[in-house]
Amino acid sequence: MNYGPLIFLAALFALSGSWLGFVVTPSFQLGTLQQTNTVGAGLTYPLARPGLAQQGLQVYRANGCVYCHSQMVTQERTLCEVVLTEAGTNTTALVAALHKLNPNYNQEALDAVLKSLPKTVVFNTTKTKADAAVKELTQTTAKAQVVITPAGPDIARGWGKRRSVAEDYLYDYPTLPGAQRVGPDLANAGARLPDVNWHLRHLYAPAAEVKGSTMPPYRFLFELRKAGLTPSTQALQLSPGIAPSGWEVVPRPEAVALATYLASLRADAPLYSTPLSSAPTASASADTNAPAGGANLSTNAPAAK
Amino acid sequence: MSNPMKSSATGENLAQVPVWLFILLFVLLFWGMYYFDQNSGWFNAHVYSPYRNVAELQLYQPAGGGGNDRGKAVYENVCALCHNPDGNGKPNQAPPLVGSEWVLGSPARMIRIPLAGLAGPVMVKGQEWNLAMPAMGAALPDDDLAAVLTYMRQSWGNKASAITTEQVKAIRAELGGRSQPFTADQLQQVP
Repeated sequence: MNYGPLIFLAALFALSGSWLGFVVTPSFQLGTLQQTNTVGAGLTYPLARPGLAQQGLQVYRANGCVYCHSQMVTQERTLCEVVLTEAGTNTTALVAALHKLNPNYNQEALDAVLKSLPKTVVFNTTKTKADAAVKELTQTTAKAQVVITPAGPDIARGWGKRRSVAEDYLYDYPTLPGAQRVGPDLANAGARLPDVNWHLRHLYAPAAEVKGSTMPPYRFLFELRKAGLTPSTQALQLSPGIAPSGWEVVPRPEAVALATYLASLRADAPLYSTPLSSAPTASASADTNAPAGGANLSTNAPAAK
Repeated sequence: MSNPMKSSATGENLAQVPVWLFILLFVLLFWGMYYFDQNSGWFNAHVYSPYRNVAELQLYQPAGGGGNDRGKAVYENVCALCHNPDGNGKPNQAPPLVGSEWVLGSPARMIRIPLAGLAGPVMVKGQEWNLAMPAMGAALPDDDLAAVLTYMRQSWGNKASAITTEQVKAIRAELGGRSQPFTADQLQQVP
């Protein structure tokens, strides 16, 4: 019997099906992904990681960090709040508008709101309702703004400010989103812990830096050197009792690369696909005497440091 | 093909399965794969982005809020090294921008300074500076330059009109790639 055509067809279907599913479809979806601009500041995002951090990614990969750490923040919903920033001149109308937005506001509560501006006056609403509320408040010569906050369990744990999107991984090769979370998510490790030396100390003795950490120490990334008369400038500043006395702990190049990589991890730039408000300013208008805080820009900084 | 019973007498049962059935099976399989791919994550909608379509994403974009993030970013990248992030300048390096008559005055004068540079003695807030500013803004796109100049005119207590991209574009065309820096006297001629 001639099974040739049947085998040929079966093989063709199996191979072309998986090729369409695993190669062609993702390529259509993400193949043309390019650098984008952050919302507001218009900075190019993402920037390629500096060379040492790029090497660190390979150390991360080689040591299997990805088996316990994910690099992907999920987001379940988006919360909108209305923040009143300026009371304006027509207080009576403003009080009426506020009462209409939230009947629980009595006169005393309203007075308290007006004294401590900026103050959130509407919590946990939809964008459409928030926009309507802002419009109503603005009509009374007051100033208000909508604050958009991504929310979800990962964000509540402090693992990020927004969900991860494909652009975050544009310069990672290979991308290491991970699938298990024995340890915390590292998508924003560098934003939380920007200190390279902290990462080095943590790699040498995790439990000494994070109480109750179950992470195994990566001591083979370091070497012990007999402490000379003058300590090495590269030696770790460990708490007493961790390194054997008379010895100093010096990171090998792999450890430095890995720590640099970890400190470079941050995916919190505001992108079009991840709407998010910057921290509400005391006043939304540009022409005030308030000094322009430097803290705001750091949230817009691209991934590479 | 139309009558499978007839040819089944030859005994080649397998050859009797019509080809379209395979194709149908393949299409069904592919649709099934696609369906499960669309609903991977155990059919839990929370696995996916909270935005279902582009219109919803557009709705959730934060409003400008009157801030000038772009101007601030350009300022801190390009200008702040000499003029200081707070706009107060640095001694022997750059005059202050806060309350400076050059910043708050005529837009046409102010736009010329970053486009071609400014050299020689210049009076700023009653103090004479004699330095050379290179054409820092010549390489910036029009909209970035407009944003950063607006940022200078409206930050740190400065209150002056915004500078538009069109104004910058017009003056850049007027200068036509001038490489000589202006002197303060030349700028004073500009209305």
